[in-house]
Amino acid sequence: MFKEDQYFGEFGGRYVPEALSSALDELDCAYRRLKDDKNFNNELECELNNYVGRPSPLYFADNLTRSSGGSKIYLKLESHNHTGAHKINNAVGQALVARELGKKVLIAETGAGQHGLATATVAARFGMGCKVFMGEVDMRRQYPNVYLMRLLGADVIPVPHGTRTLKDAINATLKYWIENIEDSHYLLGSALGPHPYPAMVRDFQSVIGREVRAQMTEREGRLPDTLVACVGGGSNALGLFHPFMDQDNIRMVGVEAGGRGDGPGEHATRIAVSQPKQGIVHGYLSYFLQDENGQLLPTHSVSAGLDYAGIGPEHAWLYKEGRTEYVSVRDDEAVKAYKILARSEGIIPALESSHAVAFALKEAPKHHDDHIMVVNISGRGDKDIFITAALTDKDNWKNFLKKEAVDE
Amino acid sequence: MSELGIASGKLSLMTHVVAGYPDPERSFELAVTMAESGSDMIEVQIPFSDPLADGPVIMKANQVALDAGMTPVKAFEMVRELRLSTGKPVFVMTYANIPYAIGLKRFFSMALEADVNGLIVPDLPFDSSLQEYFDLTAEHDMNNIYVVSPDMEPDRLRDAVVSSSGFVYTTLRVGITGADRGNISGKGLEFVRTVKRYTTLPVAAGFGISSPEQFISLEGIADIGVIGSKLIKIYDTGGTEEVGEFVKKCVSDHM
Repeated sequence: MFKEDQYFGEFGGRYVPEALSSALDELDCAYRRLKDDKNFNNELECELNNYVGRPSPLYFADNLTRSSGGSKIYLKLESHNHTGAHKINNAVGQALVARELGKKVLIAETGAGQHGLATATVAARFGMGCKVFMGEVDMRRQYPNVYLMRLLGADVIPVPHGTRTLKDAINATLKYWIENIEDSHYLLGSALGPHPYPAMVRDFQSVIGREVRAQMTEREGRLPDTLVACVGGGSNALGLFHPFMDQDNIRMVGVEAGGRGDGPGEHATRIAVSQPKQGIVHGYLSYFLQDENGQLLPTHSVSAGLDYAGIGPEHAWLYKEGRTEYVSVRDDEAVKAYKILARSEGIIPALESSHAVAFALKEAPKHHDDHIMVVNISGRGDKDIFITAALTDKDNWKNFLKKEAVDE
Repeated sequence: MSELGIASGKLSLMTHVVAGYPDPERSFELAVTMAESGSDMIEVQIPFSDPLADGPVIMKANQVALDAGMTPVKAFEMVRELRLSTGKPVFVMTYANIPYAIGLKRFFSMALEADVNGLIVPDLPFDSSLQEYFDLTAEHDMNNIYVVSPDMEPDRLRDAVVSSSGFVYTTLRVGITGADRGNISGKGLEFVRTVKRYTTLPVAAGFGISSPEQFISLEGIADIGVIGSKLIKIYDTGGTEEVGEFVKKCVSDHM
């Protein structure tokens, strides 16, 4: 009786209480219809071009390429998008679907605040209500985004339960949705959760890889050899990888958050560990950081966007099939790469994307200059100033904050 | 029905307890008190870090229980003791990751060892790919109770009800667990009647029952009324004794 189209191999599915089954069926049905609908796709393209600012540049990082002395490094600058990250691609797509469904309110979870910001932005753009659920810990460390979401008209709701981070925000949003299914659409921000979210979010993010394919063909007359992207839930990585799946010779590397150590609670590496563990949480079957009794473990990453115990089910399947590979990069390596990219190319990447940059910097010297590597810069680093300034310019930053607080 | 000791035509009470809340010893005492005060069946929840169908009260109880060291092994030990000391039917409720993570075969052998009367896993739909779980319920003749919700599509509802064994668990509203949300709606009661038409199994009704009067109002409509969050709230303010009084009031008022 099980529905194969809800799965990636054994992963994915729809492991949710029955209270959500109708809403998910309704969404699945609408999305199936719309994804091949000409008018819908025209409108989506129009929004992506004129509002988001697509296509985003594929930038040849010649300074970085020269200094690392190996493969050619190209950067896909999703950081140039409206709201500063790839998240807006999916937010625009789902907002259009929600409008078709006649929903009046967009609800969303957020960790770092980038997806909440993207959702609040499209809610304002399309005249819809917006509620963003955010763990109390995340609200404290990402206050600038809280302020911006509220400025855009969103109701930002603190989540006081569990670890008070992204995973608890997802629980809270799913529960709110169960109780308010008639007028609200859950605009899930990554390629995870119950079917149809993993496939739908991947599709909306695939514009990244489609553009890279066209841009690379135009620039180099061929396709790249290696694709690199950071992986929290995994939507920016799938967006880059998916349009290249027909190319068996292209290497695809997902970079997970190695945090500050290998111990439980010190990192958010789900796959690139000695024994990845499968689980069923948040409505989908995939790899999760959990203890021997199936309880989710706390996670840590310097980047809030990667600080999550699960990974999207399509990644789990691609990994098990041997199609993609996963590596882990520590906090300090990511911060170092963040500084290197800023100095060498004048590009300040998000801490999430800095993980991908760090891997690229290690990998590039292993190749010759006929090797082409594309690194997805999934977002820009402005949002991280409260974390990065505190790490890289501690005294000046603290003095500034103290002075600001006193001036009040 | 006889298998579960549920008298036909009479409204039975199933009370819910989170194993390990507020700690392992007191949750056992609480469950025993419920049984001794007249609860017909006990629903024991194995706590999970991310309980998707539960509102704030039960969610917090899950966390407290985990912090107090509750594990699936200890929860099944508690169930076994409850079965031995009370003789009442005990149903184990938990979330899919618990059996999945500890191993389905091991989970079932623990359930059999504990003499559990049935399993309730609200995030494991009947059409999921976890066929091994369903095979094990059949192999061991274990009751597998589905939780069904009022806005399910009629075909899906029928399939879920047909897949259920032991009894069918209906929620009186589309939502998560939690008490004190006003009266039971006509829509909720109508839903129970609809489910009754699909099955000869007993039908339980829960989600939002917070007073003896509300419980009694299910008489003649549902076979089992389930009370969960409200009992945790009573426990938090009045302790085991007041939970016992509340249970007594529910069962005596409708006799």
